[in-house]
Amino acid sequence: MTASIQLSGVSKRYRKYDDHARVGGVLGQLFTRTERSWFTALSDVDLDVQPGESLGVIGRNGAGKSTLLQMLCGVTAPTSGRVTVRGRVAPLISVGVGFHPEMTGRENVYVNGTILGLTRPEIDRRFDAIVEFSELSSFIDTPVKFYSSGMFVRLGFAVAVEARPDVLLVDEVLAVGDFAFQVRCFERMNEIRSTGTTIVVVSHNMNSIRGFCDRGVVLDRGRVAHDGTTFDAIACYYDLAGKELVAGEDGSGGGHVELVSYALQDDEGRGVTHQESGRTTTCSLTVRADMPVASPFLWVGIENAQGQAVYSEARMNHPMPGIAAGEVVSYDVQFPADLPSGNYTIGVTLRALTGAGESALLVTAPRQSFYVTGRPHVHGTADLRATFTRRSS
Amino acid sequence: MPTEETAPVAFTLSGPGTPLRELLRSLWSSRTLIGVLARKDFFVRYRRTRLGLVWAIALPLIQAVVLTVVFSNLVPGGRGSQADPHTPYSVFVFAGMVPWSFFSSAFLAGATAVVDGANLAQRIYFPRMVLPLVAVTTAIFPLVATLLVLLAMIVGLGPGLGLSTLWVLPGIALGVLLCLALSLVFSAAQVYLRDLRFAVSSGMTVLFYLTPVIYPVSRVPHELRLLVELLPAAGPVELFRRAVGSADAGLWRSVVASLVWIVVAGAAGLALHSKRDRVLADLL
Repeated sequence: MTASIQLSGVSKRYRKYDDHARVGGVLGQLFTRTERSWFTALSDVDLDVQPGESLGVIGRNGAGKSTLLQMLCGVTAPTSGRVTVRGRVAPLISVGVGFHPEMTGRENVYVNGTILGLTRPEIDRRFDAIVEFSELSSFIDTPVKFYSSGMFVRLGFAVAVEARPDVLLVDEVLAVGDFAFQVRCFERMNEIRSTGTTIVVVSHNMNSIRGFCDRGVVLDRGRVAHDGTTFDAIACYYDLAGKELVAGEDGSGGGHVELVSYALQDDEGRGVTHQESGRTTTCSLTVRADMPVASPFLWVGIENAQGQAVYSEARMNHPMPGIAAGEVVSYDVQFPADLPSGNYTIGVTLRALTGAGESALLVTAPRQSFYVTGRPHVHGTADLRATFTRRSS
Repeated sequence: MPTEETAPVAFTLSGPGTPLRELLRSLWSSRTLIGVLARKDFFVRYRRTRLGLVWAIALPLIQAVVLTVVFSNLVPGGRGSQADPHTPYSVFVFAGMVPWSFFSSAFLAGATAVVDGANLAQRIYFPRMVLPLVAVTTAIFPLVATLLVLLAMIVGLGPGLGLSTLWVLPGIALGVLLCLALSLVFSAAQVYLRDLRFAVSSGMTVLFYLTPVIYPVSRVPHELRLLVELLPAAGPVELFRRAVGSADAGLWRSVVASLVWIVVAGAAGLALHSKRDRVLADLL
């Protein structure tokens, strides 16, 4: 199969302007000295996305996500490297591009559809479906300036999806709609994906990335830091975000805390991948710090196979004694596996308090998965071990 | 429609430009888009106004009335300055105002179209040339409206409709091409040199008096005549004059000059857009 999106060795540099006032006061805004410099938005990115794939792109602000999306739209070309996109692209980047507030919903559908590359008869054919999906039949002849932001997004999304693009690019926009609409959007996106539409989602909402994408790419300062499963991508993203906090703004300085060993054990100290409900389970991690760490604390999170958090706790209010530079310390996190049958993953991180309510990530233990054989006829997310008694009054 | 077969390559980006052939091909497939956007821009302008489309005719009309009154009554020797005394002075002035107001509105909008269209241009790709083309196409709607007023004046005030009235057609064609060509160059250049917005609007004020819109070339001192005849908008203006039976002797010189402007500016504009098509949005 031929990739529907191909990036090879793509870099993008922008000319940056810095204006410095030449004179003081108000006049400084008029007389400026402009300093030009380059800044790199993307460097050496390779990426192939197959038809029908749904790719989640995550990264911190300024990591290059918007530049990547702009290239996939064809709006900006790489400084070096090559981008190839096959088929019709519909960007959902700020939905309703070209919507005019004074025009009615109906008129805007026609203009927007044309912008997305549809012919008039094509829009005629899809018009009813667009109105139906957006649930705006009683507002379709109202100027869109009277629409709420949710209605606006609904109409824009409906046009983009009904355009049956080969590549659909989705930005944060969906966050505007209410929950029910978001669910319908993702359902609809799944439908068109099954007909071969490639979908690229850029979001800071890890739940929507996890729920919808089957592949995740993490961008970090213009480079691909991770390309693989969504689960690993999200772990990588949090990892990067944490390192950043410890290392400081400029990415240098700070120290390093190294994970020496990590194991998930049963109550007899054996490594487990399989646990019986109710048995004590222990996560042991050993770290070595090459800098002194004040107020370290642990975080643990357990997720079930559906990606739901079953339990998580940050022990911010119970920090451990500090770690001296060069010291090796072991921590145990112990819990009863009171869970119904199923696959679970557990994550443990060591963080340090950096201020009131703020913390920095020191180490992330790799997520481990384990299977729990639950008690029969127990369902749900947790086994609360209810007691059932009969009292005679 | 996504299908099992491989979709055709929509685009390949490997540098700042788009080869001219490819650019023209995608321009051709954007023709519906140009029409739809131009129609939208024109009609939306008059939404929620009481007088609506009247405004499209009112502005050049008021200007022509003011100029006619000023020049025929207040400026000595103003009346009767038209090349042919049988053409009423008001018709003479309005025949110049129709192509001029088209030229000035189309070119002013076209020259800034890429920068003004940033909102659209940064979010979705179409050849960036589409934006100046939309601006010029939008200006054709009021041109048609003012043309109808001119025809009414020709019938009512003289010299009356005739075969020569058809000269407005090449006049329109020349005016449209001229605006397209100039807008192409300026719309791309303005992205890099924002001063052009102000330079163009100041230039238009000067050109209005230099181009023989409200006076005939015959009233210009001999040594300056050639200069006036060779100005870009002189060709369409003179063809409109021909349509009301009051053309200057240098009509064809002006037409050829306009054609030269079209070819030079058009080639430069195409080259500029082709070279920078895929990076113009970066600086918006």
